Amino acid sequence: MNRLALPLFVLVMAILPQLVSDYQVYLMTLTVIWAIMALSMGLVLGYVGQINLGQIAFVAIAAYTSTLLRLNFELSFWLAAPVALAVVVAVAAIVGLITLRLRGPFFILVMLAFAEIVRLVIANWQEVTNGPLGLRGIAPPEPIFGISFASKTAFYYLALVVLVVSLAALLRLVRSKTGRMLVAVREDEILAEFVGIPVMRQKVIGLCISAFVAGLGGLLLGPFLTILAPSQFTLFASVDMIVMVVVGGVGTLAGPIIGAVFLTYIPEMLSFANHFRPILMGVVLIVVTLFAPRGILGLLRSLKRTPATEARDGR
Amino acid sequence: MLAQQVVNGIVLGSIYALSALGFTLIFGAARLVNFAYGEILMLGAFFTLTLMSALGLPFFAALPAGMAATALLSVVLFYLTIRPLTRKSYTSLQGELQVILVTLGLLYVLRESAFIIWGSAPRKIEMGISGIVLIGDVVLTRQRLVVILIMAIMVTALYLMLYRTRIGKALRAIAQNREGAAAIGLDGDRIIAFVFAVSGALACVAGSLLGTLYAVEPAMGGAPLLKAFVIVIFGGLGSVPGAIAGGLALGLIETLTGAYISFAFKDIFTFLLLIAVLLLRPAGLFGRVR
Repeated sequence: MNRLALPLFVLVMAILPQLVSDYQVYLMTLTVIWAIMALSMGLVLGYVGQINLGQIAFVAIAAYTSTLLRLNFELSFWLAAPVALAVVVAVAAIVGLITLRLRGPFFILVMLAFAEIVRLVIANWQEVTNGPLGLRGIAPPEPIFGISFASKTAFYYLALVVLVVSLAALLRLVRSKTGRMLVAVREDEILAEFVGIPVMRQKVIGLCISAFVAGLGGLLLGPFLTILAPSQFTLFASVDMIVMVVVGGVGTLAGPIIGAVFLTYIPEMLSFANHFRPILMGVVLIVVTLFAPRGILGLLRSLKRTPATEARDGR
Repeated sequence: MLAQQVVNGIVLGSIYALSALGFTLIFGAARLVNFAYGEILMLGAFFTLTLMSALGLPFFAALPAGMAATALLSVVLFYLTIRPLTRKSYTSLQGELQVILVTLGLLYVLRESAFIIWGSAPRKIEMGISGIVLIGDVVLTRQRLVVILIMAIMVTALYLMLYRTRIGKALRAIAQNREGAAAIGLDGDRIIAFVFAVSGALACVAGSLLGTLYAVEPAMGGAPLLKAFVIVIFGGLGSVPGAIAGGLALGLIETLTGAYISFAFKDIFTFLLLIAVLLLRPAGLFGRVR
């Protein structure tokens, strides 16, 4: 990514809510939360090299754990959050150890089964989760360091901080030794094993980090929507994340965020009728996969390509 | 009581087996996971329903026409969206992931289009067969008996096609070794297009039968797709006998756990069983490691 792009993006996103209406702030918060979830999918798809149709389960576990702790044990948001994240990472580690051994379609189908189990447990465990009716009246996070999050704008800034910090941390991660090992494993597992990379451990670590980021999105979801229900956590939510990553550009970290803007903010702003939004998602997914497999970022790069940049990138 | 539950399980299992067959055929021949398969099944049911209500055809005349229409749609979708991706190779991992993405896109487009065309109200397909049969103290409607019969006919036809015809032989050759089949002059794309047609026809039968027992609605494709996943993993991805045995087994397991353990948790039980099977036998109960 261009060195100026990140600070510029943060600046624009920070100033905008001061200029626009409440509804726009609501839409921007929704976009930021989807961007966090898409970012987590971007890590799985681009760096672990797997399609994870169970990603939404990590979001659901974090959302429900934190909210149940707040509602039942009157824990503050800030105490419930780390507990929920620890639960998500532990679940991801166990699930990863089991499923990442499987190849190709088997991994995809088992992660799908895992997410369905999580959703069905939420839907059927009436006494704890209130079943399909869901948890209602979720309060905004309690004030901390004298900052209140009761206003829509304050909550937006909280979400933005989570997104920017996650993005910065992941950018560092993919350039670190761990990140390079992940890419090596993605490109050629056997060769990676041969040069001494602990393949299984790297993949599980990759999945855990991605689950952590997905969990961050889940923490914000409850207070933002004020309601959590199992119907929010179907297979299709995972697919939406995949569409965002693919549209933005697989194998990049800016891609998922661009994808989230294109597929959350723009359709909502144009207020598409109920059924046209999924159709748009589907058509975009098909067209991008067929004609622009590198996504929007890939298209931008190919426009910019000059002999000099080609030589630099070694193409 | 137990005998009654077993019979109910076999009826449900017959439909599951039919829905899994089309899915597993595509995987066996082309190594493609088709996420749009449930929506093809749903559209098949709507085709049959529309032929019956618009032209006034009886069920047994509308079904073959619906099968032909669904087969055609399935082939068109294959040429439009999947073949461009797999033209080079059906085996590369990159291609496999891209096919999954495209079929997920199709899933959205087909389901929401059905919402727009037919609306969300569930409708029932009337088979026009009434009455019940008593076997001992087991009560069976004639309609359910016909479901089992249709399953048996379709399975027999599929077996004759696979093992008694030239195209069946070519199809099995492609499934075993694509490069080898190409080397002896088999046209892979045309054979896989044929598999898509057969799979579409089977999906239409499964969808229409579901419509006679339950209801036809745009969201009906999700459950059979998930069941097909579970069945083909039980039975081995790509295995035809595995899909039939797996389908019947799943129908029985669901009916019996639903009746005797917990109705609410029967699906969770199925998925846990699926994960257990994959851990112990990663290629499924009937599958072979390739």
